[in-house]
Amino acid sequence: MAVIGDEDNLQIHRIPQSKYVDSVRWLPPLSAFDKFAVLALHDSDSDASSIEIHALNRSDPTNLQLQSSWVSPSRVSSFSVSQTPQKPLLAASTYGGSLHFLFADPVDASLESELSLADKSLHRGPISGIDLQGSGFECVSVDEDGKVNLISIGESRLNYRRLFDSQGLVSYTTAKWASPTEFATGGLGFGIQWWDQRKPGGAASQLKGNWARGNTSGMVHSIDIHPSRKHVCLAGGSSGTVFAWDLRWPQQPIVLSGLLLGETAVPLSESEVWEVQYDSYMQSSEISNPSSAKILPVMMCSEDGFLAVIEQGEEPIQVLSEPCAINSFDINQQYPSDVICSLEWETIVILTRL
Amino acid sequence: MPGRVPDPGNALVPFTPEVRDPVVYTIHHGLRRPVSRLSISWSRGNCLRVSVLCQHDNISESCGDASGNSNEEIGGKVVEVKLSSEHGEIDDAHNRMIAYGSVSPFAHLQSRKNYVSMLSKMPMPSSSYHVDWLEHVMEYSKDINSLLGNPKLPPSSGIEDPKTVLKMVEEPTSLKAAWELMEIFYVDKQRQSWLPERLVDWLAGYDSLLLGTESTTVHSKLVDLQRELVNLQATEDNPKYWEGISSALAVGWLEIVVKLLRLHGSYQLDQLGNREAENGLVEAIAVLVSKMPLMRPELRDGSLGECYKTKPDFVKAWEKWRGQITKLDCSGFWVMCDHHPTKEGLKNMLQIMLGNVSGLNSATGHWMELFISHLLYVRPFNMGLEGMYNLAQKCMQSKQMFKNDSLMGLFLGILGENTEVVLAECSRAFGPWMVAHSIELLTAGNNQAEILLHEERYNLGGISMEELYRLVYAQILSSHALTSQIAPIYLASCSKQGMVLLEILLYKQAVQHNQTLLKNLEICRLYGLESISSDIMKIAGMYHWKHGRKGCGVFWLQQAQDEIRLNRIAHQLFDFVGKSISDESFKRWEGLIELLGSETRTAGGLEFLHKYRDFKKSLQQIQGGKVTDATRQAVDSLMLLMKNPSTPQRFWLPLLHDSLKLISWPGRPLLNVAQTNVLLIKLQGLSFARLQPNFSEVDLPPHALSSVRLALATNLGRAILEE
Repeated sequence: MAVIGDEDNLQIHRIPQSKYVDSVRWLPPLSAFDKFAVLALHDSDSDASSIEIHALNRSDPTNLQLQSSWVSPSRVSSFSVSQTPQKPLLAASTYGGSLHFLFADPVDASLESELSLADKSLHRGPISGIDLQGSGFECVSVDEDGKVNLISIGESRLNYRRLFDSQGLVSYTTAKWASPTEFATGGLGFGIQWWDQRKPGGAASQLKGNWARGNTSGMVHSIDIHPSRKHVCLAGGSSGTVFAWDLRWPQQPIVLSGLLLGETAVPLSESEVWEVQYDSYMQSSEISNPSSAKILPVMMCSEDGFLAVIEQGEEPIQVLSEPCAINSFDINQQYPSDVICSLEWETIVILTRL
Repeated sequence: MPGRVPDPGNALVPFTPEVRDPVVYTIHHGLRRPVSRLSISWSRGNCLRVSVLCQHDNISESCGDASGNSNEEIGGKVVEVKLSSEHGEIDDAHNRMIAYGSVSPFAHLQSRKNYVSMLSKMPMPSSSYHVDWLEHVMEYSKDINSLLGNPKLPPSSGIEDPKTVLKMVEEPTSLKAAWELMEIFYVDKQRQSWLPERLVDWLAGYDSLLLGTESTTVHSKLVDLQRELVNLQATEDNPKYWEGISSALAVGWLEIVVKLLRLHGSYQLDQLGNREAENGLVEAIAVLVSKMPLMRPELRDGSLGECYKTKPDFVKAWEKWRGQITKLDCSGFWVMCDHHPTKEGLKNMLQIMLGNVSGLNSATGHWMELFISHLLYVRPFNMGLEGMYNLAQKCMQSKQMFKNDSLMGLFLGILGENTEVVLAECSRAFGPWMVAHSIELLTAGNNQAEILLHEERYNLGGISMEELYRLVYAQILSSHALTSQIAPIYLASCSKQGMVLLEILLYKQAVQHNQTLLKNLEICRLYGLESISSDIMKIAGMYHWKHGRKGCGVFWLQQAQDEIRLNRIAHQLFDFVGKSISDESFKRWEGLIELLGSETRTAGGLEFLHKYRDFKKSLQQIQGGKVTDATRQAVDSLMLLMKNPSTPQRFWLPLLHDSLKLISWPGRPLLNVAQTNVLLIKLQGLSFARLQPNFSEVDLPPHALSSVRLALATNLGRAILEE
């Protein structure tokens, strides 16, 4: 495995939080000079959860300045940030089944107002995944009881509708928008479902769960869809598995990493891949060619402490190797050289690739 | 003494239990009615959960309540009481950071230890490993030490204030001080010959920790002086100035001494003329101080003195330096110095440098400072631990200090070469983390300690003390949700009981959330605990199943390859299928059926659901009395299901009962003779099976069997006629 961890091309800043970091995201920059990080924190001593927005100091990145914080009624299970800088919007879901939408001030990123949905008919138990649509004010939320809900966010009120309810027969772990009408969900048995709001009554298409059957099967923890390749779902899950599912060839997914289908290559990781994202920092000639079948470079983080970039058919590049799990990460969409990740040991790491 | 240990002869470690008076804390539960029940249990971490329940009394009392909020009568309250340790120097969050940070050095050292012990079994000379091993432990010790806080210097402003004699650094912790003491004595053997100087450095860093009720310390004296210096004009007239200088000199803080001396009034330009002799003496002493020979390999940054690495060089330089001091002491310049406090102060400094015991005694506060001053000026040459121990006792006596805090207790234990005392002090003052990690230092080059700590003891259940202390630490780690993830690393290093406790720990973890569940399964994978892993998956499977997440339940049971439970829940699923399947709900089932796949191994008896779905689907499409493709398909599916050996016997009757409208089809019979015979044979098998004691009845009308039999018989008759 190639390592890019030397000091010449990577700046690493570790910042202890003294609270468990459930998730991290970048907030889209409000001006060209600001960088804001959003952390979902959990204090296990007081059982208090919160979402905090911190400003990064350009000269001293270890010195985070707290801009604002919001106390969550229950532990944050998933959160998503809309990518429009004009109206910074955060959506957070909790283990208690409530959904919260936080509007931030476009100047100093302080939280201005909040809209909540704590209706038990929305989700009975923990919400396992949510995703805000990039530009529109639409959010999808899924849970392990098998509910798929769509929430539209208005100026002062929220409307939601149940798109589907599997009544516990199928559990969903994560969701990701592909277009204003389509999104993908992931779940058990390395299954992915493709949903189209125009085709009600169930998933429009699904990846047959038994493709991975052999020695192992697992869960999908994270999905990413590239705006220029809406027909390809990128997914990460158990046993170090990272794969892409191309809707045009739905029978067999493309495995990028993992011990599957009798492949002989030693995988980067053998444990859970908690998050995957297309890595827009890695230059790829394929990006200009949308019809190319090659999968764009992917960044992943894993339970055994790897943060790495995977390119189809090439040796993975290790960015970070920690003695503890890396539970989540986010690539700054505006400055793709910046990556923020959260470690199991109550710490966040801010990386800058030079 | 109250509460003495009944038989101290049995105690492993000489141990004086410090039984303090019980402290009473009041919990405000805010309940007005008498408390009838109290329940106390542990919550997260070191939280106590106290449930206070009221007496269930009649309403009339609450109605008569004048406060007006009788409607909100509360029946009880749960109060969480957070117990924090008395050792409040380091907060919980910081303690956790230390715990996280020490995982890697500890694990690294253990793997090296295993490697070395593997090598030592080979026939090779082992003396070189010993040296190597101390280096490994040193590396470990440095890693751990860096976790305990680094003295951060305040950002220097470029221009140094001449009046700032004492740099204010981050408040040191006694934990770090204790760790460094152990490192100095147990690991850093290569620099053993420079031990006195290392102790001087140690004191320079941690003198502020010695401040007790009984004494002032050099550090506290200097802090006071520093405060006064700012406003002081003629510093040399203030007795505190000279006290501060001689105290700093006594414990060897040469740079502070010189800096203070240079604040002497005689250096001021307007005074230089008429205080020439006085200034000459001050400067001469300052030069002597800055040239003091030290036996150490190198100087600390910004320190004064001259280094000598070997003893002969040092002895030579020391004699020469002493000679210069004696010469200055007898010099004629003293007569020319007419500033009395200066003369006194400087003469006193000379006495300290000449090793005058009473001078040292009055210049120092704490006995440890006196001890260090003795090492510096009275016995600057090496002495063994025994000599140091005797010296320490003497210093304590002359300072009349007999009650020692934890740090000094540890120091005396080390000097007394008493491993048990060292361990007891570590455990009492610094807790399980310290003991579990410092054992590596204790055993590094010390055979006696190694035997003591590694010996398996009958009274500890056959484990060694080392293992015992690791288990204790692991227990502490596992009591907190966040640190329980690192407990396995310590448990795995315990050869006797570790894995058993790890299994218990893993069994106790919650399975509700997939993330924590998967993290625990990962631990199972790392330590090869397949059976625990499969048990946890079974627990998770049943948990999800019971909470209505059927897909999740089936998934985990499949992962655990638990065919027994899969078969059992298949029955319930079958009921659910039978009741709920309709055209619009097929979509719901798709996902689960995909998950089940079609392999018998992973699906248990569930893979027949595949076929059952097809059967039900076609059964639903049948309309009226017309024979369509759907009807034929339904018959085919039925035959397939009935012939398939994996279709569980208990489902035969419900299947046949569902197919009654196929069997008793109006008009032409749908099933031919052979097919009907197959079904009749199955039915007969079922009748025999019902006589078995362990047969479980299905939830069908009581006449189901007879109506199926009748229908089949009728069909057979019609089919025979047909053929």
